[in-house]
Amino acid sequence: MSLKVVVGIKWVPNTQAVRFDPKTGTLIREGVPSIVNPHDLDAVELALQLKERYGAKVTAISMAPPSAIKGLEHVIGMGIDDAILVSDRVFAGSDTLATSYVIAQTLKRIGDFDLALFGQETIDSSTAHIPAQVAGWLELPYMYYVDRVEEVDEKQRTVTVRRMLEDRLEWYQLKMPAILGVAMKSQKPRPVSIYNKLRVRMENPIQVWSNKELGLDPRCLGLKGSPTLVSKVTWTPEVPRKKQVIEGPPSEAVKKLVEKLCEEGVLPFEC
Amino acid sequence: MSAEKKVSLAEKRRQKKVDCDKLCPEWGCAQPYEYEGVWVVGEVDEQGITEPSLQMLTPARRIADKLETFVEGILLGSDREQLEKAAKEMIYHGADRVRILVSEELATYIPGVYGEAIARLAEARKPEVIFLAATMRGREIAPYVAGLLKAGITADCTQFEVDEETGDLLMIRPPFAAILLAYIKTPFRRPQIATARPNIFPLPPRDESREGEIVWENPEDYKLSKPPISLVKVEMLKRSEVPIEKAEYIVSGGRGVGTKEGFKTLEELAEILGGVVAGSRKAVDLGLIPHERQVGQTGKSVRPKLYIAVGISGAAQHVIGIREAGLVVAINKDPDAPIFKNADYGIVADWREALPILIEELRKLKERSGKTG
Repeated sequence: MSLKVVVGIKWVPNTQAVRFDPKTGTLIREGVPSIVNPHDLDAVELALQLKERYGAKVTAISMAPPSAIKGLEHVIGMGIDDAILVSDRVFAGSDTLATSYVIAQTLKRIGDFDLALFGQETIDSSTAHIPAQVAGWLELPYMYYVDRVEEVDEKQRTVTVRRMLEDRLEWYQLKMPAILGVAMKSQKPRPVSIYNKLRVRMENPIQVWSNKELGLDPRCLGLKGSPTLVSKVTWTPEVPRKKQVIEGPPSEAVKKLVEKLCEEGVLPFEC
Repeated sequence: MSAEKKVSLAEKRRQKKVDCDKLCPEWGCAQPYEYEGVWVVGEVDEQGITEPSLQMLTPARRIADKLETFVEGILLGSDREQLEKAAKEMIYHGADRVRILVSEELATYIPGVYGEAIARLAEARKPEVIFLAATMRGREIAPYVAGLLKAGITADCTQFEVDEETGDLLMIRPPFAAILLAYIKTPFRRPQIATARPNIFPLPPRDESREGEIVWENPEDYKLSKPPISLVKVEMLKRSEVPIEKAEYIVSGGRGVGTKEGFKTLEELAEILGGVVAGSRKAVDLGLIPHERQVGQTGKSVRPKLYIAVGISGAAQHVIGIREAGLVVAINKDPDAPIFKNADYGIVADWREALPILIEELRKLKERSGKTG
């Protein structure tokens, strides 16, 4: 049996123009163009390397509205074998715990995976919650900030990974199945190939699962299944700053600036 | 004062009741009033307790006082002596009590095992709130704890408040772009778990006369599962530079600096000030600086005495990282760049022109003062 790898994909709005529903405090996604979370592409790339090294079969999963099918087509274009879009209105408004629950249950239904890879965080909320929460639901070993898979031992069912913290490199060996958060910008995600993109049309490799397939209790889903809720949204208060623009040609302005810095007493030497 | 207002928050939160039938059955059910106290999980490394975890005692103390409850430090590990020292530091910095779990399983850091230990302790002791510093390890453990406890968690909070009506913790974070703040609460679920990035909160004052109890938890009560992970090896990285979150002087560059060559000029300035070079997300995306030197929402929060932003436009996501900076100077050739609205002093000029002059002026000053920066 060959190695089976699952990659989690988040379909995120690609814009700085945020709009919120003031009632629920959740994002309004309509009208905002979306992309695959760029950090997930590092996970996709790492998974594809495992495909090359170990002949792994790689499945992408995404819990998202139907439009995310475009994102799954994109990663299939990169070389992912097949994909499951987990999509249902009852999932709307999920916080990270409710999202991780659905993803964990999806993994359970997939069943025989060895590794589940996720981007370390997303560009839209950057909580970095999902990989560890999924591990929490499934009580599986997990590791964050992985930048390299050193070795997969299919007989012993272990994976050895490297990760970088602030001041050290660490190598860990995890029993599979295991969950990995792939470090941001740790890989060079490959481009989409036309050949792979054609597969989307020819082979129809994307399945859609709704809650009909998963059969989960609605109390565990969406807003109901989310222990956290947004009670209100406000503007970030500004930090009071002097906002003084020093006029004049650069040489004069810089001299004036140095005088100001002296007055403020912030320089590490006497003026 | 109306009569209603005399009901203390402590009482209000004891009156809170949750309808278990409405909750996800996978969560289990407990009443909020069964939970008491604010926890801070202490992170301990070779040098002892880390500063970011002591910083979390600042919001913990404030929230505990509002809720009329106590602050407990939580420490995990295998070295009793080191942990006791760390416990005393937590008490000096504001903890009322510190619980320590010593176990051989905790001798090396394994996220799943540390997370499991915190979750088991929380199940037994039922804290109302758990704070963790969002260090790399904290960000790794906190969501696992939440996943095990099926509890609500909010990452990277920048403020905490208490809902005056219900006694719920309000976990406040910039949800998407840093221009907005979301007030998040977790009304039906305890503990309420939250993290904050290092330097968002100041270190509380250290008071060696503060006293507190140290409780050595019985490891027999917390059988940890044999970890399906092992640490194979560690390689310490030689980092000559001061980490940006500890620097007093930061010269920071953005897209406008453009090249690695350009950053050399920034380094020159930083060296005169005895500071370090950092950058915006754009600078990281362009490969000009490593991610650990990124300032902003997806990077780090810094609190230097002086922050000099060079060629940085000043998007909200960047500015949020310098809220705690002392004085902010901006150099940018675009007079409309938002950074000028978030700076104390600004110069509208090409940095290639302005920076060499600044370097020259400061060098003269430094030599005259005869001090080494």
